[in-house]
Amino acid sequence: TVEAPGVFVLALIFLAVFIIIWFAHLKWLMDIWGVQ
Amino acid sequence: MASIFRTDPSTGLKIDRASENLIRWNLIAALATLAVGGLLALGVVLTRWPSVHLLPLDYYYRFLTLHGIDALLAWIIFFEIALVHFTSTVILGTRSYVPWLGWLAFALMLIGGGLINVIVLMGGADVMFTSYVPLKADPLYYIGVILFAVGALLGFIIFFINIVLSKRDGGYKRSLPLGSFGMLAASIIGVLTLAHGAAIFIPTLLWALDFIPWVDPAAYRLVFWGLGHPSQQINVSAMVAVWYMTVAFVLGGKPVNEKLSRTAFVLYILFINVASEHHLLVDPVLSTWHKIVNTSYMMHLAVLASMIHAFAIPASIEVALRKQGYTRGLFEWLKKAPWGNPAFSGMAISILLFGFLGGITGVIFGTEQFNIIRHNTIAITGHFHGTVVAGTTVAFMGFTYLLIPYVFRREIIWKGFASIQPYLYGTGVALLSIGMMSAGSFGVPRRHYDITFSGAPFSFTFDPSIDMFLSMMGVGGLLAVTGGVLYILLGFGSIIWGKKIEH
Repeated sequence: TVEAPGVFVLALIFLAVFIIIWFAHLKWLMDIWGVQ
Repeated sequence: MASIFRTDPSTGLKIDRASENLIRWNLIAALATLAVGGLLALGVVLTRWPSVHLLPLDYYYRFLTLHGIDALLAWIIFFEIALVHFTSTVILGTRSYVPWLGWLAFALMLIGGGLINVIVLMGGADVMFTSYVPLKADPLYYIGVILFAVGALLGFIIFFINIVLSKRDGGYKRSLPLGSFGMLAASIIGVLTLAHGAAIFIPTLLWALDFIPWVDPAAYRLVFWGLGHPSQQINVSAMVAVWYMTVAFVLGGKPVNEKLSRTAFVLYILFINVASEHHLLVDPVLSTWHKIVNTSYMMHLAVLASMIHAFAIPASIEVALRKQGYTRGLFEWLKKAPWGNPAFSGMAISILLFGFLGGITGVIFGTEQFNIIRHNTIAITGHFHGTVVAGTTVAFMGFTYLLIPYVFRREIIWKGFASIQPYLYGTGVALLSIGMMSAGSFGVPRRHYDITFSGAPFSFTFDPSIDMFLSMMGVGGLLAVTGGVLYILLGFGSIIWGKKIEH
Protein backbone atom coordinates (compact mmCIF):
# COMPACT_ATOMS: atom_id res chain seq x y z
CA THR A 1 0.00 0.00 0.00
CA VAL A 2 3.05 2.28 0.24
CA GLU A 3 3.88 3.32 -3.31
CA ALA A 4 7.15 5.04 -2.43
CA PRO A 5 8.64 3.49 0.73
CA GLY A 6 12.10 4.95 0.03
CA VAL A 7 10.77 8.49 -0.11
CA PHE A 8 8.76 7.81 3.06
CA VAL A 9 12.06 7.11 4.87
CA LEU A 10 13.75 10.12 3.24
CA ALA A 11 10.83 12.31 4.34
CA LEU A 12 11.23 11.12 7.94
CA ILE A 13 14.95 11.99 7.80
CA PHE A 14 14.11 15.45 6.44
CA LEU A 15 11.54 16.06 9.16
CA ALA A 16 13.99 14.88 11.84
CA VAL A 17 16.65 17.34 10.61
CA PHE A 18 14.01 20.08 10.44
CA ILE A 19 12.84 19.47 14.02
CA ILE A 20 16.41 19.24 15.41
CA ILE A 21 17.41 22.57 13.82
CA TRP A 22 14.12 24.17 14.93
CA PHE A 23 14.65 23.15 18.55
CA ALA A 24 18.33 24.19 18.43
CA HIS A 25 17.15 27.69 17.55
CA LEU A 26 14.53 27.57 20.32
CA LYS A 27 17.24 26.59 22.83
CA TRP A 28 19.40 29.46 21.55
CA LEU A 29 16.55 31.91 21.99
CA MET A 30 15.73 30.62 25.49
CA ASP A 31 19.38 31.05 26.49
CA ILE A 32 19.27 34.68 25.30
CA TRP A 33 16.02 35.27 27.19
CA GLY A 34 17.43 33.55 30.27
CA VAL A 35 14.59 31.03 30.36
CA GLN A 36 15.55 27.89 32.28
CA MET B 1 -4.28 32.92 -38.96
CA ALA B 2 -1.97 30.23 -40.24
CA SER B 3 0.65 28.86 -37.89
CA ILE B 4 3.40 26.41 -38.68
CA PHE B 5 3.75 23.50 -36.30
CA ARG B 6 6.50 20.94 -36.09
CA THR B 7 6.61 17.85 -33.92
CA ASP B 8 9.60 17.23 -31.65
CA PRO B 9 10.85 13.72 -32.50
CA SER B 10 11.87 12.72 -28.97
CA THR B 11 8.80 13.91 -27.05
CA GLY B 12 6.03 14.24 -29.63
CA LEU B 13 5.47 17.85 -28.50
CA LYS B 14 3.89 20.14 -31.11
CA ILE B 15 5.78 23.42 -31.35
CA ASP B 16 4.65 26.37 -33.46
CA ARG B 17 7.15 28.76 -35.01
CA ALA B 18 6.04 31.87 -33.09
CA SER B 19 6.29 30.15 -29.70
CA GLU B 20 9.63 28.65 -30.63
CA ASN B 21 11.12 32.07 -31.40
CA LEU B 22 9.72 33.65 -28.23
CA ILE B 23 11.08 30.82 -26.06
CA ARG B 24 14.45 31.01 -27.82
CA TRP B 25 14.97 34.73 -27.33
CA ASN B 26 13.76 34.78 -23.74
CA LEU B 27 16.15 31.91 -22.98
CA ILE B 28 19.04 33.71 -24.70
CA ALA B 29 18.31 36.88 -22.67
CA ALA B 30 18.16 34.76 -19.50
CA LEU B 31 21.56 33.21 -20.21
CA ALA B 32 23.10 36.61 -21.00
CA THR B 33 21.79 38.25 -17.82
CA LEU B 34 22.92 35.28 -15.71
CA ALA B 35 26.40 35.70 -17.19
CA VAL B 36 26.47 39.36 -16.09
CA GLY B 37 24.89 38.57 -12.71
CA GLY B 38 27.43 35.81 -12.10
CA LEU B 39 30.36 38.07 -12.96
CA LEU B 40 29.07 40.64 -10.48
CA ALA B 41 28.64 37.86 -7.89
CA LEU B 42 32.33 37.06 -8.24
CA GLY B 43 33.22 40.67 -7.36
CA VAL B 44 30.83 40.68 -4.41
CA VAL B 45 31.91 37.35 -2.89
CA LEU B 46 35.61 38.20 -3.27
CA THR B 47 34.93 41.43 -1.38
CA ARG B 48 33.00 39.79 1.46
CA TRP B 49 35.85 37.26 1.83
CA PRO B 50 37.97 39.26 4.32
CA SER B 51 41.33 37.87 3.22
CA VAL B 52 40.68 39.06 -0.37
CA HIS B 53 38.47 42.17 0.03
CA LEU B 54 38.70 42.87 -3.68
CA LEU B 55 36.52 45.85 -4.62
CA PRO B 56 36.73 49.47 -3.47
CA LEU B 57 33.85 50.76 -1.34
CA ASP B 58 31.62 52.32 -4.02
CA TYR B 59 32.04 49.44 -6.46
CA TYR B 60 31.08 46.90 -3.79
CA TYR B 61 27.64 48.48 -3.32
CA ARG B 62 27.32 49.12 -7.07
CA PHE B 63 28.07 45.49 -7.94
CA LEU B 64 25.82 44.23 -5.15
CA THR B 65 22.91 46.37 -6.42
CA LEU B 66 23.32 45.10 -9.97
CA HIS B 67 23.95 41.49 -8.90
CA GLY B 68 20.48 41.49 -7.34
CA ILE B 69 18.90 43.02 -10.44
CA ASP B 70 20.59 40.75 -13.00
CA ALA B 71 20.71 37.46 -11.10
CA LEU B 72 17.43 37.62 -9.18
CA LEU B 73 15.20 39.69 -11.46
CA ALA B 74 16.44 39.48 -15.04
CA TRP B 75 17.83 35.91 -15.31
CA ILE B 76 14.97 34.31 -13.44
CA ILE B 77 12.11 36.32 -14.97
CA PHE B 78 13.41 35.99 -18.55
CA PHE B 79 13.57 32.22 -17.96
CA GLU B 80 10.08 32.26 -16.44
CA ILE B 81 8.64 34.08 -19.44
CA ALA B 82 10.26 31.40 -21.63
CA LEU B 83 8.44 28.88 -19.40
CA VAL B 84 5.19 30.87 -19.77
CA HIS B 85 5.37 30.46 -23.55
CA PHE B 86 6.46 26.80 -23.26
CA THR B 87 3.71 25.74 -20.85
CA SER B 88 0.88 27.75 -22.44
CA THR B 89 1.57 26.57 -26.00
CA VAL B 90 3.98 23.65 -26.44
CA ILE B 91 2.72 21.58 -23.48
CA LEU B 92 -0.89 22.12 -24.64
CA GLY B 93 -0.10 21.45 -28.31
CA THR B 94 -1.61 24.75 -29.42
CA ARG B 95 -0.09 27.91 -30.86
CA SER B 96 0.92 31.27 -29.44
CA TYR B 97 -2.20 33.41 -29.95
CA VAL B 98 -0.62 36.82 -29.32
CA PRO B 99 3.03 36.63 -30.45
CA TRP B 100 3.10 40.41 -31.00
CA LEU B 101 2.36 40.88 -27.30
CA GLY B 102 5.16 38.43 -26.50
CA TRP B 103 7.61 40.53 -28.48
CA LEU B 104 6.35 43.75 -26.86
CA ALA B 105 6.86 42.19 -23.41
CA PHE B 106 10.33 40.99 -24.40
CA ALA B 107 11.31 44.43 -25.75
CA LEU B 108 10.11 46.22 -22.60
CA MET B 109 12.01 43.81 -20.36
CA LEU B 110 15.14 44.13 -22.49
CA ILE B 111 15.01 47.95 -22.60
CA GLY B 112 14.16 48.20 -18.88
CA GLY B 113 16.87 45.75 -17.87
CA GLY B 114 19.43 47.45 -20.10
CA LEU B 115 18.55 50.87 -18.69
CA ILE B 116 18.97 49.65 -15.10
CA ASN B 117 22.36 48.12 -15.93
CA VAL B 118 23.65 51.32 -17.56
CA ILE B 119 22.41 53.63 -14.79
CA VAL B 120 23.78 51.45 -11.97
CA LEU B 121 27.18 51.00 -13.63
CA MET B 122 27.37 54.77 -14.20
CA GLY B 123 26.96 55.22 -10.45
CA GLY B 124 23.46 56.68 -10.65
CA ALA B 125 21.76 54.14 -8.40
CA ASP B 126 23.89 52.83 -5.53
CA VAL B 127 20.66 52.08 -3.68
CA MET B 128 20.84 48.27 -3.47
CA PHE B 129 18.23 45.90 -4.91
CA THR B 130 15.58 47.17 -2.49
CA SER B 131 16.14 50.91 -3.21
CA TYR B 132 14.67 51.81 0.19
CA VAL B 133 13.71 55.47 0.46
CA PRO B 134 15.13 57.94 1.45
CA LEU B 135 17.99 56.54 -0.68
CA LYS B 136 17.39 58.26 -4.01
CA ALA B 137 18.45 56.91 -7.40
CA ASP B 138 18.51 58.56 -10.82
CA PRO B 139 14.90 58.68 -12.15
CA LEU B 140 16.03 56.53 -15.10
CA TYR B 141 16.64 53.67 -12.63
CA TYR B 142 12.99 53.68 -11.53
CA ILE B 143 11.87 54.03 -15.17
CA GLY B 144 13.99 50.96 -16.00
CA VAL B 145 12.40 48.96 -13.16
CA ILE B 146 8.89 50.03 -14.24
CA LEU B 147 9.55 49.12 -17.90
CA PHE B 148 10.92 45.71 -16.89
CA ALA B 149 7.96 45.10 -14.55
CA VAL B 150 5.39 46.10 -17.20
CA GLY B 151 7.10 43.77 -19.69
CA ALA B 152 6.99 40.91 -17.18
CA LEU B 153 3.34 41.70 -16.40
CA LEU B 154 2.47 41.48 -20.11
CA GLY B 155 4.40 38.20 -20.25
CA PHE B 156 2.25 36.70 -17.49
CA ILE B 157 -0.95 38.08 -19.10
CA ILE B 158 0.01 36.21 -22.30
CA PHE B 159 -0.24 32.99 -20.28
CA PHE B 160 -3.92 33.67 -19.49
CA ILE B 161 -4.73 34.60 -23.11
CA ASN B 162 -3.04 31.47 -24.45
CA ILE B 163 -4.69 29.02 -22.04
CA VAL B 164 -8.20 30.48 -22.55
CA LEU B 165 -7.92 30.26 -26.35
CA SER B 166 -6.17 26.89 -26.18
CA LYS B 167 -9.16 25.41 -24.32
CA ARG B 168 -11.43 26.76 -27.07
CA ASP B 169 -9.26 24.97 -29.63
CA GLY B 170 -9.19 21.70 -27.67
CA GLY B 171 -5.67 22.03 -26.24
CA TYR B 172 -6.96 20.56 -22.97
CA LYS B 173 -10.32 19.40 -21.65
CA ARG B 174 -11.07 20.01 -17.98
CA SER B 175 -7.90 21.19 -16.31
CA LEU B 176 -4.41 22.14 -17.36
CA PRO B 177 -1.57 19.60 -17.26
CA LEU B 178 0.30 19.91 -13.96
CA GLY B 179 3.35 21.74 -15.39
CA SER B 180 1.06 24.34 -16.95
CA PHE B 181 -1.01 24.48 -13.75
CA GLY B 182 2.16 25.37 -11.81
CA MET B 183 2.89 28.18 -14.25
CA LEU B 184 -0.76 29.30 -13.90
CA ALA B 185 -0.12 29.70 -10.15
CA ALA B 186 3.12 31.56 -10.96
CA SER B 187 1.30 33.87 -13.38
CA ILE B 188 -1.51 34.67 -10.92
CA ILE B 189 1.04 35.50 -8.21
CA GLY B 190 3.01 37.41 -10.87
CA VAL B 191 0.11 39.75 -11.64
CA LEU B 192 -0.53 40.43 -7.92
CA THR B 193 3.18 40.96 -7.34
CA LEU B 194 3.76 43.35 -10.22
CA ALA B 195 0.71 45.37 -9.18
CA HIS B 196 2.52 45.99 -5.88
CA GLY B 197 5.60 46.98 -7.89
CA ALA B 198 3.64 49.59 -9.84
CA ALA B 199 1.98 50.83 -6.64
CA ILE B 200 5.33 51.66 -5.07
CA PHE B 201 7.74 52.40 -7.93
CA ILE B 202 5.50 54.96 -9.68
CA PRO B 203 5.22 57.22 -6.57
CA THR B 204 8.95 56.73 -5.94
CA LEU B 205 9.71 57.82 -9.52
CA LEU B 206 7.55 60.93 -9.00
CA TRP B 207 9.50 61.62 -5.79
CA ALA B 208 12.82 61.18 -7.63
CA LEU B 209 11.56 63.69 -10.22
CA ASP B 210 10.61 66.11 -7.38
CA PHE B 211 6.91 66.01 -8.32
CA ILE B 212 5.99 64.84 -4.83
CA PRO B 213 7.93 65.90 -1.72
CA TRP B 214 8.14 62.67 0.25
CA VAL B 215 7.62 58.91 0.25
CA ASP B 216 7.09 57.42 3.69
CA PRO B 217 9.90 54.89 4.34
CA ALA B 218 7.66 52.53 6.31
CA ALA B 219 4.94 52.60 3.64
CA TYR B 220 7.61 52.03 0.98
CA ARG B 221 8.90 48.92 2.78
CA LEU B 222 5.39 47.56 3.33
CA VAL B 223 4.40 47.83 -0.34
CA PHE B 224 7.86 46.96 -1.70
CA TRP B 225 7.74 43.60 0.06
CA GLY B 226 4.39 42.96 -1.57
CA LEU B 227 6.57 42.93 -4.69
CA GLY B 228 9.77 41.51 -3.22
CA HIS B 229 8.57 38.39 -1.45
CA PRO B 230 5.64 37.17 -3.57
CA SER B 231 7.98 37.43 -6.57
CA GLN B 232 10.00 34.68 -4.87
CA GLN B 233 6.83 32.61 -4.88
CA ILE B 234 6.60 33.10 -8.64
CA ASN B 235 10.07 31.55 -8.63
CA VAL B 236 9.01 28.69 -6.34
CA SER B 237 5.90 27.90 -8.40
CA ALA B 238 7.91 27.99 -11.63
CA MET B 239 10.64 25.85 -10.05
CA VAL B 240 8.13 23.24 -8.86
CA ALA B 241 6.46 23.24 -12.30
CA VAL B 242 9.92 22.55 -13.76
CA TRP B 243 10.41 19.69 -11.27
CA TYR B 244 7.12 18.06 -12.35
CA MET B 245 7.91 18.54 -16.06
CA THR B 246 11.45 17.16 -15.67
CA VAL B 247 10.14 13.99 -13.98
CA ALA B 248 7.65 13.57 -16.83
CA PHE B 249 10.17 14.20 -19.63
CA VAL B 250 13.16 12.30 -18.22
CA LEU B 251 11.46 9.36 -16.48
CA GLY B 252 7.91 9.35 -17.82
CA GLY B 253 6.82 9.80 -14.20
CA LYS B 254 3.35 10.89 -13.18
CA PRO B 255 2.32 12.75 -10.01
CA VAL B 256 1.35 10.29 -7.27
CA ASN B 257 -1.71 12.37 -6.41
CA GLU B 258 -2.50 15.10 -8.89
CA LYS B 259 -5.29 16.66 -6.81
CA LEU B 260 -2.93 17.06 -3.86
CA SER B 261 -0.27 18.69 -6.04
CA ARG B 262 -2.82 21.11 -7.51
CA THR B 263 -4.07 21.94 -4.00
CA ALA B 264 -0.50 22.75 -2.99
CA PHE B 265 -0.19 25.26 -5.84
CA VAL B 266 -3.47 26.88 -4.70
CA LEU B 267 -2.02 27.16 -1.17
CA TYR B 268 0.85 29.20 -2.65
CA ILE B 269 -1.60 31.62 -4.26
CA LEU B 270 -3.72 32.02 -1.13
CA PHE B 271 -1.15 32.23 1.65
CA ILE B 272 2.23 33.28 0.43
CA ASN B 273 1.69 36.99 0.76
CA VAL B 274 1.10 36.76 4.51
CA ALA B 275 4.60 35.32 4.92
CA SER B 276 6.01 38.47 3.30
CA GLU B 277 5.77 40.11 6.70
CA HIS B 278 9.03 38.51 7.84
CA HIS B 279 10.77 41.35 5.98
CA LEU B 280 9.10 43.84 8.35
CA LEU B 281 9.73 42.08 11.65
CA VAL B 282 12.00 44.80 13.05
CA ASP B 283 9.85 47.64 11.67
CA PRO B 284 7.86 49.55 14.30
CA VAL B 285 4.80 49.87 12.05
CA LEU B 286 2.97 46.59 12.61
CA SER B 287 2.01 45.24 16.02
CA THR B 288 3.69 42.21 17.57
CA TRP B 289 0.32 40.43 17.46
CA HIS B 290 0.08 41.08 13.72
CA LYS B 291 3.63 39.86 13.11
CA ILE B 292 3.15 36.66 15.12
CA VAL B 293 -0.17 35.74 13.48
CA ASN B 294 1.35 36.09 10.02
CA THR B 295 4.86 34.74 10.43
CA SER B 296 4.50 32.23 13.28
CA TYR B 297 1.19 30.73 12.15
CA MET B 298 -0.14 31.67 8.69
CA MET B 299 3.30 31.21 7.08
CA HIS B 300 3.06 27.46 7.68
CA LEU B 301 0.14 27.16 5.25
CA ALA B 302 2.50 28.21 2.47
CA VAL B 303 5.25 26.00 3.91
CA LEU B 304 2.79 23.09 3.81
CA ALA B 305 2.52 23.55 0.04
CA SER B 306 6.28 23.28 -0.41
CA MET B 307 6.40 20.20 1.83
CA ILE B 308 3.69 18.52 -0.29
CA HIS B 309 5.65 19.17 -3.49
CA ALA B 310 8.98 18.23 -1.92
CA PHE B 311 7.64 14.78 -0.96
CA ALA B 312 5.29 14.22 -3.92
CA ILE B 313 7.93 14.73 -6.60
CA PRO B 314 10.56 12.32 -5.19
CA ALA B 315 7.68 9.86 -4.67
CA SER B 316 6.74 10.12 -8.35
CA ILE B 317 10.42 9.55 -9.24
CA GLU B 318 10.50 6.44 -7.04
CA VAL B 319 7.26 5.07 -8.49
CA ALA B 320 8.51 5.68 -12.05
CA LEU B 321 11.86 3.98 -11.41
CA ARG B 322 10.26 1.03 -9.59
CA LYS B 323 8.07 0.54 -12.67
CA GLN B 324 11.31 0.30 -14.67
CA GLY B 325 12.29 -2.68 -12.51
CA TYR B 326 14.46 -1.10 -9.80
CA THR B 327 12.55 -2.69 -6.94
CA ARG B 328 15.24 -4.22 -4.70
CA GLY B 329 15.22 -2.84 -1.16
CA LEU B 330 14.33 0.69 -0.19
CA PHE B 331 16.83 2.56 -2.34
CA GLU B 332 17.81 0.61 -5.47
CA TRP B 333 15.72 3.09 -7.49
CA LEU B 334 17.78 5.94 -6.02
CA LYS B 335 21.11 4.30 -6.89
CA LYS B 336 19.97 3.46 -10.43
CA ALA B 337 18.46 6.89 -11.17
CA PRO B 338 19.96 8.67 -14.23
CA TRP B 339 22.50 10.69 -12.25
CA GLY B 340 24.61 11.35 -15.36
CA ASN B 341 21.73 13.17 -17.07
CA PRO B 342 22.15 16.86 -16.12
CA ALA B 343 18.41 17.50 -16.48
CA PHE B 344 17.71 14.85 -13.82
CA SER B 345 20.65 15.68 -11.55
CA GLY B 346 19.86 19.40 -11.77
CA MET B 347 16.30 18.71 -10.61
CA ALA B 348 17.41 16.30 -7.84
CA ILE B 349 20.08 18.69 -6.51
CA SER B 350 17.55 21.50 -6.64
CA ILE B 351 15.01 19.51 -4.57
CA LEU B 352 17.65 18.42 -2.04
CA LEU B 353 19.23 21.85 -1.52
CA PHE B 354 15.96 23.77 -1.65
CA GLY B 355 14.58 21.54 1.12
CA PHE B 356 17.56 21.26 3.44
CA LEU B 357 19.24 24.65 2.91
CA GLY B 358 16.55 27.06 1.75
CA GLY B 359 13.40 25.50 3.18
CA ILE B 360 14.35 24.68 6.77
CA THR B 361 16.16 28.00 7.24
CA GLY B 362 13.31 29.93 5.63
CA VAL B 363 10.77 28.55 8.08
CA ILE B 364 13.02 29.19 11.07
CA PHE B 365 14.46 32.59 10.11
CA GLY B 366 11.03 33.80 9.00
CA THR B 367 9.34 33.04 12.32
CA GLU B 368 8.77 36.15 14.43
CA GLN B 369 10.33 34.75 17.61
CA PHE B 370 13.46 33.33 15.93
CA ASN B 371 13.93 36.13 13.43
CA ILE B 372 15.56 38.59 15.82
CA ILE B 373 18.69 36.41 16.17
CA ARG B 374 19.14 36.35 12.37
CA HIS B 375 17.59 39.54 11.01
CA ASN B 376 19.93 41.50 8.70
CA THR B 377 22.80 39.08 9.25
CA ILE B 378 24.53 37.31 6.38
CA ALA B 379 22.60 34.19 7.46
CA ILE B 380 19.62 35.67 5.59
CA THR B 381 21.76 35.93 2.46
CA GLY B 382 22.71 32.28 3.03
CA HIS B 383 19.01 31.37 3.27
CA PHE B 384 17.96 32.97 0.00
CA HIS B 385 20.96 31.61 -1.86
CA GLY B 386 19.61 28.24 -0.67
CA THR B 387 16.22 29.00 -2.24
CA VAL B 388 16.59 31.10 -5.39
CA VAL B 389 20.07 29.87 -6.33
CA ALA B 390 20.45 26.30 -5.04
CA GLY B 391 16.74 25.76 -5.70
CA THR B 392 15.37 27.82 -8.58
CA THR B 393 18.54 28.52 -10.56
CA VAL B 394 19.77 24.90 -10.38
CA ALA B 395 16.32 23.65 -11.47
CA PHE B 396 16.29 26.10 -14.39
CA MET B 397 19.83 25.05 -15.34
CA GLY B 398 18.72 21.41 -15.43
CA PHE B 399 15.66 22.25 -17.55
CA THR B 400 17.86 24.15 -20.01
CA TYR B 401 19.41 20.81 -21.00
CA LEU B 402 15.92 19.75 -22.13
CA LEU B 403 14.82 23.06 -23.66
CA ILE B 404 17.82 23.44 -25.98
CA PRO B 405 17.17 20.14 -27.84
CA TYR B 406 13.37 20.72 -27.85
CA VAL B 407 13.34 24.37 -28.87
CA PHE B 408 16.67 25.10 -30.56
CA ARG B 409 16.86 21.62 -32.13
CA ARG B 410 20.52 21.37 -31.12
CA GLU B 411 22.33 18.68 -29.20
CA ILE B 412 24.11 19.65 -25.97
CA ILE B 413 27.87 19.96 -26.57
CA TRP B 414 30.57 18.60 -24.22
CA LYS B 415 28.29 15.97 -22.69
CA GLY B 416 30.89 15.00 -20.07
CA PHE B 417 31.14 18.57 -18.79
CA ALA B 418 27.35 18.92 -18.96
CA SER B 419 26.90 15.88 -16.72
CA ILE B 420 29.12 17.37 -13.97
CA GLN B 421 27.89 20.99 -14.26
CA PRO B 422 24.91 20.71 -11.84
CA TYR B 423 27.15 18.98 -9.25
CA LEU B 424 29.84 21.65 -9.55
CA TYR B 425 27.38 24.52 -9.29
CA GLY B 426 25.27 22.84 -6.59
CA THR B 427 28.30 22.04 -4.41
CA GLY B 428 29.56 25.61 -4.76
CA VAL B 429 26.23 27.17 -3.82
CA ALA B 430 25.80 24.75 -0.90
CA LEU B 431 29.21 25.73 0.53
CA LEU B 432 28.45 29.42 -0.08
CA SER B 433 25.08 29.16 1.64
CA ILE B 434 26.31 27.13 4.65
CA GLY B 435 29.31 29.46 5.05
CA MET B 436 27.04 32.51 5.02
CA MET B 437 24.57 31.01 7.49
CA SER B 438 27.34 29.93 9.85
CA ALA B 439 28.97 33.38 9.78
CA GLY B 440 25.55 34.96 10.26
CA SER B 441 25.01 32.93 13.41
CA PHE B 442 27.94 34.92 14.88
CA GLY B 443 26.23 38.17 13.95
CA VAL B 444 28.16 39.03 10.77
CA PRO B 445 25.98 41.63 9.01
CA ARG B 446 24.72 41.39 5.43
CA ARG B 447 25.34 44.09 2.79
CA HIS B 448 28.38 45.30 4.72
CA TYR B 449 31.61 46.44 3.07
CA ASP B 450 34.07 46.13 5.94
CA ILE B 451 33.28 43.98 8.97
CA THR B 452 36.68 44.82 10.52
CA PHE B 453 35.37 48.40 10.94
CA SER B 454 38.80 49.79 10.09
CA GLY B 455 39.05 53.51 10.81
CA ALA B 456 35.76 53.53 12.74
CA PRO B 457 35.66 55.44 16.07
CA PHE B 458 34.42 52.28 17.83
CA SER B 459 35.95 48.85 17.42
CA PHE B 460 34.19 45.51 17.36
CA THR B 461 35.74 42.09 16.94
CA PHE B 462 33.74 39.09 15.79
CA ASP B 463 34.40 35.55 16.98
CA PRO B 464 37.57 34.44 15.13
CA SER B 465 35.77 31.39 13.72
CA ILE B 466 33.96 33.62 11.23
CA ASP B 467 37.15 33.73 9.13
CA MET B 468 36.75 30.02 8.44
CA PHE B 469 33.06 30.39 7.56
CA LEU B 470 33.63 33.39 5.29
CA SER B 471 36.48 31.50 3.59
CA MET B 472 34.04 28.62 3.09
CA MET B 473 31.65 31.13 1.52
CA GLY B 474 34.45 32.41 -0.72
CA VAL B 475 35.53 28.95 -1.88
CA GLY B 476 31.89 28.01 -2.47
CA GLY B 477 31.37 31.20 -4.44
CA LEU B 478 34.38 30.46 -6.66
CA LEU B 479 33.12 26.91 -7.27
CA ALA B 480 29.64 28.21 -8.09
CA VAL B 481 31.02 30.82 -10.50
CA THR B 482 33.06 28.05 -12.19
CA GLY B 483 29.89 25.95 -12.52
CA GLY B 484 28.02 29.02 -13.75
CA VAL B 485 30.64 29.79 -16.42
CA LEU B 486 30.45 26.16 -17.54
CA TYR B 487 26.64 26.42 -17.78
CA ILE B 488 26.85 29.61 -19.87
CA LEU B 489 29.46 28.04 -22.18
CA LEU B 490 27.38 24.87 -22.53
CA GLY B 491 24.21 26.90 -23.14
CA PHE B 492 25.54 29.33 -25.73
CA GLY B 493 27.91 26.71 -27.17
CA SER B 494 25.05 24.26 -27.75
CA ILE B 495 22.82 26.96 -29.25
CA ILE B 496 25.56 28.08 -31.68
CA TRP B 497 27.65 24.97 -32.34
CA GLY B 498 25.50 22.06 -31.14
CA LYS B 499 24.84 19.33 -33.68
CA LYS B 500 21.54 20.00 -35.46
CA ILE B 501 18.74 17.57 -34.62
CA GLU B 502 17.20 16.59 -37.94
CA HIS B 503 13.87 14.85 -38.35
